[in-house]
Amino acid sequence: MEKDIRESIEWAKINGDVLKSLESPRPLFWVILVVALSMFGVGVGCEVYQYQIGMGVANLNNPQVWGLYIATFIFWIGMSHSGTLLSAILHLMHADWRKPIYRFAEAMTTFSLMTAGLFVMVHLGRLWQFYYAVPYPNERWVWPNFQSPLLWDAMAIFTYLSSSVIFLFIGMIPDLAICRDHLHPGWRKKLYTVLALGWEGTDRQWRNFRVTYLTVACFLIPLAVSVHSIVASDFAMSQQPGWHVTSFPPYFVAGALYSGCAAIITLFVILRYVFKFEEYMTLPILKKIVRLTFAIAMVWTYLNAVEFASVWYSHDEASKAVLIQKATGIYAPFWWMMNFCGSVVPFVMMIKRFQTSIPVMFAVSLLLNLGMWLERWMIVSPTFSHGYYPYLWDNNQWPTLVQWGIVFGSFGWFTLLFMGFCKLFPSVSMYEVKEMVYHRSLANKHVEQSLTMNVNELEEKGAH
Amino acid sequence: MSQHHILALFNNFDEAEAAVAELRASTIKGFSFDDLIMKSPIEHPEVESVLGERSANVQWFTLFGALFGGITAFTLIAGSQGNFFAQLKGGKPIIPIPADLVLTYEMFILGGVYITVLGFLICAGLPARRSKLYSSNVSEDQVGLLVKVEASAAATIKSIFTKHQALEIQEEAGK
Amino acid sequence: MSVSNMLENWSKFRHMHPVDDKPHEEYKWAMSIDLDACSGCNACSVACYAENNLPVVGKQKFDAGQQMHWMRIERYWDDDGREFPDQGAQFLPMLCQQCEAAPCETVCPVGATNHTADGLNSQVYNRCIGSRYCSANCPFKVRYFNWYDYPTTDNVWPAEMTQQLNPDVTVRGKGVMEKCTFCVQRLERAKNNARTEGRLVHDGEVQTACQQACPTGAITFGNLVEPESKIARQWAHQQVELAARDKQAKDEQEGGSDLRGYRIFEELRAYPSVMYLERVRESAI
Repeated sequence: MEKDIRESIEWAKINGDVLKSLESPRPLFWVILVVALSMFGVGVGCEVYQYQIGMGVANLNNPQVWGLYIATFIFWIGMSHSGTLLSAILHLMHADWRKPIYRFAEAMTTFSLMTAGLFVMVHLGRLWQFYYAVPYPNERWVWPNFQSPLLWDAMAIFTYLSSSVIFLFIGMIPDLAICRDHLHPGWRKKLYTVLALGWEGTDRQWRNFRVTYLTVACFLIPLAVSVHSIVASDFAMSQQPGWHVTSFPPYFVAGALYSGCAAIITLFVILRYVFKFEEYMTLPILKKIVRLTFAIAMVWTYLNAVEFASVWYSHDEASKAVLIQKATGIYAPFWWMMNFCGSVVPFVMMIKRFQTSIPVMFAVSLLLNLGMWLERWMIVSPTFSHGYYPYLWDNNQWPTLVQWGIVFGSFGWFTLLFMGFCKLFPSVSMYEVKEMVYHRSLANKHVEQSLTMNVNELEEKGAH
Repeated sequence: MSQHHILALFNNFDEAEAAVAELRASTIKGFSFDDLIMKSPIEHPEVESVLGERSANVQWFTLFGALFGGITAFTLIAGSQGNFFAQLKGGKPIIPIPADLVLTYEMFILGGVYITVLGFLICAGLPARRSKLYSSNVSEDQVGLLVKVEASAAATIKSIFTKHQALEIQEEAGK
Repeated sequence: MSVSNMLENWSKFRHMHPVDDKPHEEYKWAMSIDLDACSGCNACSVACYAENNLPVVGKQKFDAGQQMHWMRIERYWDDDGREFPDQGAQFLPMLCQQCEAAPCETVCPVGATNHTADGLNSQVYNRCIGSRYCSANCPFKVRYFNWYDYPTTDNVWPAEMTQQLNPDVTVRGKGVMEKCTFCVQRLERAKNNARTEGRLVHDGEVQTACQQACPTGAITFGNLVEPESKIARQWAHQQVELAARDKQAKDEQEGGSDLRGYRIFEELRAYPSVMYLERVRESAI
């Protein structure tokens, strides 16, 4: 079997390779940055226009009050799930192949949460009053409504975002110390000096670090599950047909993990190529993520089928009508495409030859995420066009360019943040790759020792 | 009595481990084993075990933080709902327990995480200025042993380090 | 302080309105609409536009579904093969049902919509941040969002029309949710007058704009708490109970009931305050 990582990599080389990714970027990096910036510009333009004129320019209307904004909001929240959640779970399970890839996955969590946060704002009719949703003490003792799933959402996202940032930061302290020690003087060295908090790698620091990192990881797993369950509650706790489904929270969590894993594959390929991390982001590791993604894809497929079945065999006429309308109405092409991308495409990942084929996996990961994005849209919109009230059936609103522009811009914003992060902070965890290399070589040594011992024993026996 | 700080750098853990073991077994006048600090580029519980039992108390912060966060959240939320009497929602009581528990849960985690990190900073003594005897090789691939001894014992300690193939020994007289 | 308040009044805070709460005191505004009398003339809707300063959005925005009619006349056609105009149109005036347990109230993140002491589902424009969750969760879809800044839009109220704007009612800016208020400005005035005179509002003393404009008198409005009021007698006669779970007692009888009164989507347990009388039922949809 191929090895996840070469055990003979010099530790100094690890430092060197990763630190190189922080220095003068390749032209490709600038190309990506410019593309991302112009995408973001489109989004900002659309938002400014919408802010000035009113939400009507998005072509939302009265029964159809939510559109792509909420769908994309869920998409980005979902995307954030794999990074921190998987990193924490794999950390607890001592799966050390996580080590070269978890840093950028956690950064992905943070930045997709920030993107999701933007959609909350973009979606608000009066975003200049968004602070009403914050429970700040005030003279009139007016509080937000703590019963509203939207408020839980805000709280959950705040908790998740800040905890993820902390988790990311704590895990990065030893690496920041490396940056501080080995980069050329300049403003960045000063920045790292401050951020490294004076880390020296003493036994006291490591001891407390270990406990802290483990504890925060323990907190993050239930937190991440709760965050997407709460997002699911936005729908499941409402009364609308097609939304009021008990299985929504696990379904959402599975969908979140799914799209997050697919995004990890996408970014894995991009980073590997842009920063030349072939030595660390190896094909065996890719294979492991692909297998994990396939497993999650099957969980998602199952829960998707459960949702359909539970609606189909229920006596709820209205929910059933929504389901039928999804499969046959105006949204049918998207709905079938979602099922195709989400449940059929992942079978490509079963073929061994493709599991380590970078172009195939890149394409598959993009398709999976397309499917996941469509899934969110297919949750939000059809219910509005075929809700309880018959007078408003077949109210179909096609999103305008403003909506598409903002959705488009969000991808630019995410790329911008992510690429910025990769240039400013080590996107591969240096100290943990060293640990991985160390433990693997130690294990090898044990194996060799026991092998030679066996050989010696055999020889001894032979001699007798 | 003047004190000396000595930093020795080792190429690998085995040598450092051997040095630590010898220091621990020895009884050198003017040197206390608790004053030995090990600096390493990676987290390495097996090697740290040669240092013997040294405590990490972050978990108590965690316990406090989580409980504090949860209790505060429930009290504040239910209290504000009770005070904001105009906020009657038909079909739900003014203080709805399940809804409040969701937020309590979130705050439980938030409190836990924040206070844990605070605990980490306190227990690990961060942020701090780096000690003067610091070699950037530690953040690359070498293991450092920093000891604080009285001047009289310095030579003995140094000889132990040299015996175990220390690559480099830095010394500084300080208070 | 807040803790002691909480502990002292715990049982009060744990009451669930309307099912195990005490009923409304003094006032509970309710309506009934007799569909057998409704001729679909739209006078109620026009009156509502005039009374509540509703913006007239124009053809294009109406087409886009961005209209603001708090009171809408819905048309349902018979599905028996006949062509228009013989298709057998039936009408249903739809307005906010002022639910006792409104699905919109619990989901608002900022608490902009609440249940008032006189049984209305209030909407606080100043507090609204426009998340539109209330509309998403409304089974009747009777909430209207200000998609544009209508008061400053051309031709919403052409020059001379501004003269007829109601000074008692605010105009709503962009990004705010609004809906039928049961003409709360009229209710407040009547209640204030009555309070000044040390009495309760008489039956018939206050009318909603739609009720006032209805040429066939299909709309009845009043205080459900006062047993002798017309509305209370009507509800009692139709045996429609405000806080009945799932089904009214009369509907649970074998063979159903001959009475004409019902409320829309009763099974959702929103406990609407508007009772309809016969005409459009499932057969027509």
